[in-house]
Amino acid sequence: MLRNNLKIAWRNLLQKKGFSFLNIAGLAIGMAASLLIGLWIYSELSFNQEFENYDDIAQVMQTQTFGGELSTAVNQPMQLAGALRNSFDDHFKHVITSSFTGDELLTYEETRITRSGNFMEPGITEMLSLQMIAGSRNALEDPTAILLSESTANALFPNADPMGKLIKIGTGMKAQVKGVYKDLPRNSDFGDLTFIAPWELLNTVANFEARLGWGNNWFQTYVQLQQGADITAVSELIRDVKYDNIKSSGDDSGPISKPVLHLHPMSKWHLYSRFENGVNVGGAIDRVWLFGIIGVFILLLACINFMNLSTAKSVKRAKEVGIRKTIGSGKNQLIFQFLSEAFLVVLLAFVISIVLVLAGLPFFNDLTDKTMAIPWGNPMFWFSCLLFMLFTGFIAGSYPAFYLSSFRPASVLKGTFGNAQGASGLRRVLVVFQFTISTVLIIGTITIFKQIEHAKNRPLGYNKEQLLYFPINTPEVRERFETIRDELLQSSSIEEVAASDVLISDTFISNSGFSWKGKDPGMSEEFNTLRATYGFGEMIDWELKDGRNFSREFKGDSLAFIVNESAVRYMGLENPIGEMVKWGDNGSYKIVGVVEDMITRSPYDQVRPTLFILHYGRFLSFVNIKIGGRGNTRQALAHIEKIFNKYDPESLFTYNFIDQEYARNFLNEERMGKLATFFALLAICISCLGIFGLSAFVAEQRTKEIGIRKVLGASVSGLIGLLSREFVVLVLVSCLIAIPTSYYYMNSWMDDFYYRTEISWWIFIAALVGALAITLLTVGYHAFRASYLNPVKSLRAE
Amino acid sequence: MMLLQLNNLFKWVQSGGQRIFLLKDINLDVEEGEFISIMGPSGSGKSTLLNVIGMLDNFDEGEYHFLGESVHNLKEKYRANLYKEYIGFVFQSYHLLDDLTVKENLEMPLLYKKFKASERKAMVADMLDRFNIVGKKDLFPVQLSGGQQQLVGIARALISNPKLLLADEPTGNLNSQQGEEIMDLFKQLNNEGVTIIQVTHSEKNAAYGSRIINLLDGRMI
Repeated sequence: MLRNNLKIAWRNLLQKKGFSFLNIAGLAIGMAASLLIGLWIYSELSFNQEFENYDDIAQVMQTQTFGGELSTAVNQPMQLAGALRNSFDDHFKHVITSSFTGDELLTYEETRITRSGNFMEPGITEMLSLQMIAGSRNALEDPTAILLSESTANALFPNADPMGKLIKIGTGMKAQVKGVYKDLPRNSDFGDLTFIAPWELLNTVANFEARLGWGNNWFQTYVQLQQGADITAVSELIRDVKYDNIKSSGDDSGPISKPVLHLHPMSKWHLYSRFENGVNVGGAIDRVWLFGIIGVFILLLACINFMNLSTAKSVKRAKEVGIRKTIGSGKNQLIFQFLSEAFLVVLLAFVISIVLVLAGLPFFNDLTDKTMAIPWGNPMFWFSCLLFMLFTGFIAGSYPAFYLSSFRPASVLKGTFGNAQGASGLRRVLVVFQFTISTVLIIGTITIFKQIEHAKNRPLGYNKEQLLYFPINTPEVRERFETIRDELLQSSSIEEVAASDVLISDTFISNSGFSWKGKDPGMSEEFNTLRATYGFGEMIDWELKDGRNFSREFKGDSLAFIVNESAVRYMGLENPIGEMVKWGDNGSYKIVGVVEDMITRSPYDQVRPTLFILHYGRFLSFVNIKIGGRGNTRQALAHIEKIFNKYDPESLFTYNFIDQEYARNFLNEERMGKLATFFALLAICISCLGIFGLSAFVAEQRTKEIGIRKVLGASVSGLIGLLSREFVVLVLVSCLIAIPTSYYYMNSWMDDFYYRTEISWWIFIAALVGALAITLLTVGYHAFRASYLNPVKSLRAE
Repeated sequence: MMLLQLNNLFKWVQSGGQRIFLLKDINLDVEEGEFISIMGPSGSGKSTLLNVIGMLDNFDEGEYHFLGESVHNLKEKYRANLYKEYIGFVFQSYHLLDDLTVKENLEMPLLYKKFKASERKAMVADMLDRFNIVGKKDLFPVQLSGGQQQLVGIARALISNPKLLLADEPTGNLNSQQGEEIMDLFKQLNNEGVTIIQVTHSEKNAAYGSRIINLLDGRMI
């Protein structure tokens, strides 16, 4: 029976090639899109899962109170690990202090490469179950050892055995390669951990022990629980460890910020990383849901095409149903037949969709910044695909199956079978559904891009053009900055040079411990700070509102602040110039200038109160350079590189432009926008395939009517209008539903941004006009053809 | 032996608060081995009666007994089984499945009756032989003449050995020579024991039968 059904289905497909093409292509595109989304969701959900100790690994986070707001972060003091080990040893297998993963220059003889890696305590090798290619996991116990990932080892020692070789990390540290481990999974938070150096090495070289206390949250703390330990219980146990220690160490900032510790399990790092007011409120999981829903919708759109096209040609198949019933077919056998036809189509579509996925994966990987591949060898994959096909086949095939099989043979064979009013009603509903989804996606896409554009056009408050920087790698550069500046300025293409601790495009450092006249004693204040040398403000061309810039002519400027307008409001100062601000033990600073607010963090956020401090010392990390005039860049760069190599011969010369740094703020949203465009286009494409097919059937069904109308004198344009009207009305109805829906959702999306665009009316008009234009183009083809048909022909055909 | 019996059978449609009768008080007894022709003008209810007898259509009042079973009390499923077992249908416009070859069209009823593949093969071969259409077995309906199509239609109706063959103007679309051949075939089948009820306009064709029923406005006259 099944074989017979499939044979018939196959012949049916071959016979109506155009129809089959629409059906299969639509389904294949829909399936490919949902497969891609499925792969992406799988990759998101399986993030970090390749680690054996996935269930037992956690990161210690702390929630502190700043300015009445709770802020949760991963950074911890170096003393925490020891305290946890001492007091709660029976709960933890490993407690590990680690620096933040960053780029370091690795040097072996003449080979110099920059790789990202980390300084970590030895237990990390067991925690991450490193697979050693050479050496052993406990090699990291030796504070002069370093472990390299396979790819780093290959890059640094292309033709030699890395084991035992002495390499240089950065400029100040030396370590011996004592192990090579297999690259860690890309789909994990440790994917960029391409070397692991001993934490002790960094600690000794940087003399942290002597310098840093419980108040310096410079590091991260990872733990691995004893097997079977209850993470919530342990998390509760360690709650006050930092608070108690910071209080007994005599640091008075502790009681103000009230740090509360908790364990954040590895299973939540990736998808549940956002904290608001100390509470975990999700994170990337929102996107997983969003795209999951989009995937299901796109698949539904494709299934709807299948249903619509099947019911549209039901008039043709009604006769077949009638005959089959008169020669003894039961209803169930017909349902089975139509379902098997649907499954055949789905199977074909699936094969095509796999090809589409293979072709689209590189592009999609690029878009999502992932390295996804089809897991051919995974039985779960095949099982899911089977389920996926059954699901799609059932959704797509069930309606036609149940609908067609319920025809009464006597009436269909007699020819009194009406044009299936019920079915065309449902078809209308389904088309409206399709276009509602498509229009919502169009509006969403436009809004995302409008928001990005809006933020891009936000006045910066400084001039980011022709501004570049290079990092300061050695104390020599820092100490001899003035000399270096003078030598740089010798080139006529360089306008100004100033050093700073953070970049103006991202002033991520914040400080507290300030007091001033009139400050509310209960206020636990926090300011962003930027330390820089003379000339920094003039170089970036900030707008001075009041007072003056730092100047070599004023000797007291090392104890002076320039503040932004937000800071003035934040501090509640009437006349800021000349006010004194006490900063902990650092002394009293005088406010000498007020500058206009600048976008120094995310362009979507509110400008934070910021202090600018004159500084020539150990915090300086970047040399900023303003190039004078366009076209001088190459000349300037050559000069800069020469000076750089003169004063820092061991490092690689790297530089970047501030405007490029700034552009990174838009990466996430732009990616989101591109994905939304991608899926919106797919949705429109599928919906259009659907109404293209439908309009063909409508035109065919009404051939006789059109013939008669023409004989009676109807004009071609009138007929085209007649044939298109129904679809236009449907699309208008869709827009009516889509506009409030998308308004609601886009409003809640934009709630995340402080600086946001308006959802203006023209977006809706544009979506409406766009949807209508697309509909008319799609439907118009068949309407046009049908209307131009010679009536003699169409009437004779009856 | 009694094959079927209709007692006071009515069928109507509701139109604007009025009942329009399609069949009115039909009483009919059919013995096995009869060859009955139903005649009457267009719209007199001939086809409706045939469809009711063939269980393709419902009726609103009255009784219908088929081989001792009360059809009016039977559930859809049992009725379908009864139908599948004992009744074959032949149409004016043949109603072959366009997508299937002659052989496959013949095989279709057997599939629905769940015959084994080997049995199906034998029965189809037998039928092709009997109707002398072996050479056409791999052709599609559109490749056959009208008479040949109707032959296939009859062969398909007969393949599962029905007791009752219902034919709705079987020669309506055929030329006179083809029509005669079909009627001869019916006569021969009837002689072999198949009960036949046909709807026809032609007195000549009706004459092949043993009894004529005349319908007018849904009523037997």
